[in-house]
Amino acid sequence: MDTAGLLAIGAGLAVGLAAIGTGMAQSRIGAAGAGAIAEKPELVGTMIVLLAIPETMVILGFAVAAIILFVK
Amino acid sequence: MLVQMTKIQIVGTLGELDKAVRSLHRAGVVQLEEKVEAVDPLVLDPGAAKQRDELALIIARLDALLTLMAKPSSPRGLAAEYDAQTLRPTADVIADVKSAMTQLDAPVQNLARRREELESDRVTLPRYAKTMRQLMPLAADMAPLRNYETVALLVERKSAGIIELIRQQLPSITQDQFELVSQDIDKDTTAALLVFPREYSSAIQTLLGREAITQVRLPEELANVPFNEALGKIEARLAAILRELENVNRELSALSTEWRVRLAVWSAVLQDRLQEVEVRSRFGATRYTFVIVGWMPSRGVAALRRTLEREVGDRILLEELPVTEHDREHAPVVLSNPGPAKPFEFLVKLMALPRYGTIDPTPIMAIFLPIFFGMILGDVGYAIVVLLGAIYLYRRAKPGGMRSLTLVIIYCSLWSIVFGFWYGEFFGELGEKWFGMHAYFPRGQMVQPLFAFSIALGIVQIGLGFGLGIYQALKLRQRHELLDRVAKVIALIGIFAMLASMTNFLPQEMFTPGFAITMVGTALLMYTLGWIGLLLAPIEILGTLGNILSYLRLAAIGLSSVYLAMVANELAGLFGNIIIGIIVGGLFHALNIALGILSPTIQSLRLHYVEFFQKFYEGGGEGFVPFKREGIL
Repeated sequence: MDTAGLLAIGAGLAVGLAAIGTGMAQSRIGAAGAGAIAEKPELVGTMIVLLAIPETMVILGFAVAAIILFVK
Repeated sequence: MLVQMTKIQIVGTLGELDKAVRSLHRAGVVQLEEKVEAVDPLVLDPGAAKQRDELALIIARLDALLTLMAKPSSPRGLAAEYDAQTLRPTADVIADVKSAMTQLDAPVQNLARRREELESDRVTLPRYAKTMRQLMPLAADMAPLRNYETVALLVERKSAGIIELIRQQLPSITQDQFELVSQDIDKDTTAALLVFPREYSSAIQTLLGREAITQVRLPEELANVPFNEALGKIEARLAAILRELENVNRELSALSTEWRVRLAVWSAVLQDRLQEVEVRSRFGATRYTFVIVGWMPSRGVAALRRTLEREVGDRILLEELPVTEHDREHAPVVLSNPGPAKPFEFLVKLMALPRYGTIDPTPIMAIFLPIFFGMILGDVGYAIVVLLGAIYLYRRAKPGGMRSLTLVIIYCSLWSIVFGFWYGEFFGELGEKWFGMHAYFPRGQMVQPLFAFSIALGIVQIGLGFGLGIYQALKLRQRHELLDRVAKVIALIGIFAMLASMTNFLPQEMFTPGFAITMVGTALLMYTLGWIGLLLAPIEILGTLGNILSYLRLAAIGLSSVYLAMVANELAGLFGNIIIGIIVGGLFHALNIALGILSPTIQSLRLHYVEFFQKFYEGGGEGFVPFKREGIL
């Protein structure tokens, strides 16, 4: 089978699955965060941090995808 | 930088208390402790307690008066007047206020009440008029009769059947002396007019009440006017109301221009005096002296001492107290950074105020954050758009959070221009196509070096964070934190040695020492964390490694913006029509700019808050709230 095609599928999975994971985590954190900020607006800074934590997953997914595609 | 604070104690003879409080209040540099631990609390003498109550009452009345008055067109001279009044003795000010209030209270309140009545009539009368106008066609059919009463009814159209019900009952109540006409007046309402002899009034009212029908009630003064004359009267009344309202407003604003500035100044001055009395509950006292304990910036101590000597005399003593470990925990925090770093204080406070005695990350953030932002956005064209937008917002923003944020964005966009030239990007690859811009580092094609560069930045910042953390732990004698951070640094060094030898940056033989160093770090961390460390130490170390890998986002987010710009230009080119191409390309670039402000800001903030701050930052500081005059405005 064509390896280039398999590599592309692999890269797509790396980003895509990581993005789904990040999205699921952020949806919960975001909902809880909106509630928390409504009660205590001074928590904005903390909430940005919490909301940004799962993003690491998709960034790493992207890094892996880039390595699959570009690093020979 | 956190401003160094000194805990001070002021002791003076009770006779100097008033002068001392006044002087401290004016200086406005000391945050007073809630209470003085060492001695008994100062008990307010009856005179002072009475004065406090009187002041509170007068201020409340003054403020009530002020809310009734119109705002003056220009509050000129307010500050000057405040400065003049603030020098006068309290009793004189109170006397002035009282005489002004006897003069003003009644007229202002009457005018305000009158205005309220007129306003309410002005709103309700047109509603009557509207209903009346709807009923007029019915009334025209009826001759006005003396000794007869007219009642107007409004019924929802879908329940109009009720009018027929009433019609059936009316003959028995009024011995057939009645007239009832009804008509649909709009798509929802049926109106009816009912005329009957006055003597049956109460019986009819009972009937209508039982059927729960809304009558059109007229204002009292119109109740006995024949129905068809009422409309004219309402219109005349409305015109009169408008005239009268204008008069009332004119009188009120005349009083306001004459008095408002003075009243506002008095209110502010008396508020100051009230604070000066109320604050005494925080003081301590011995038989002949008062004791005040508080915090102030160390650099101001000498100046305050001179001020007290000058304004109070030699019967007062200001001394610096030794600061215990417990005190240090509760010392108030003031951030003080040089001008260019100042706006970044806002971002640090957004997270939390650092605890007293710890490191203020503001200056470091001021250096790294714009670089990170610039590295992610890295496009001359986008950066210029963002820069212009930020400058526009900066000029419009009031001093405060918004203004700090726009300044931060301005720094960020300047770095984006620098990186943009380095990457050779101007709205994506347009710079290269149109002006032959030279890319020194075309990031779209140099993914690997870009990743390496981001990781390197990560190592620098995380290393700096650990360095600061270790320094701080040494300074504050935090043994646990110190060991924790040292262990992680050792483990990281080992891991990087292993990676370097695997990728041939270091000779192969370095792998074993690297592994050994990693194990030493892990073991130290296990020891620091206790039993749970056996499980947690490897996870913690992997987490720290993850922190560094997290800086990959500097490359990744930037690349996604490069690709989006590329898509915008490609797509615009596909249409083969210049105008559609420009519109489509413009829309995509606009989207990319919007993302280009939002995501680099959040991502670089996050790298600071999560990855960098974790290594040393301790939040939970309490802000500095000095005892000072509120002033005016």
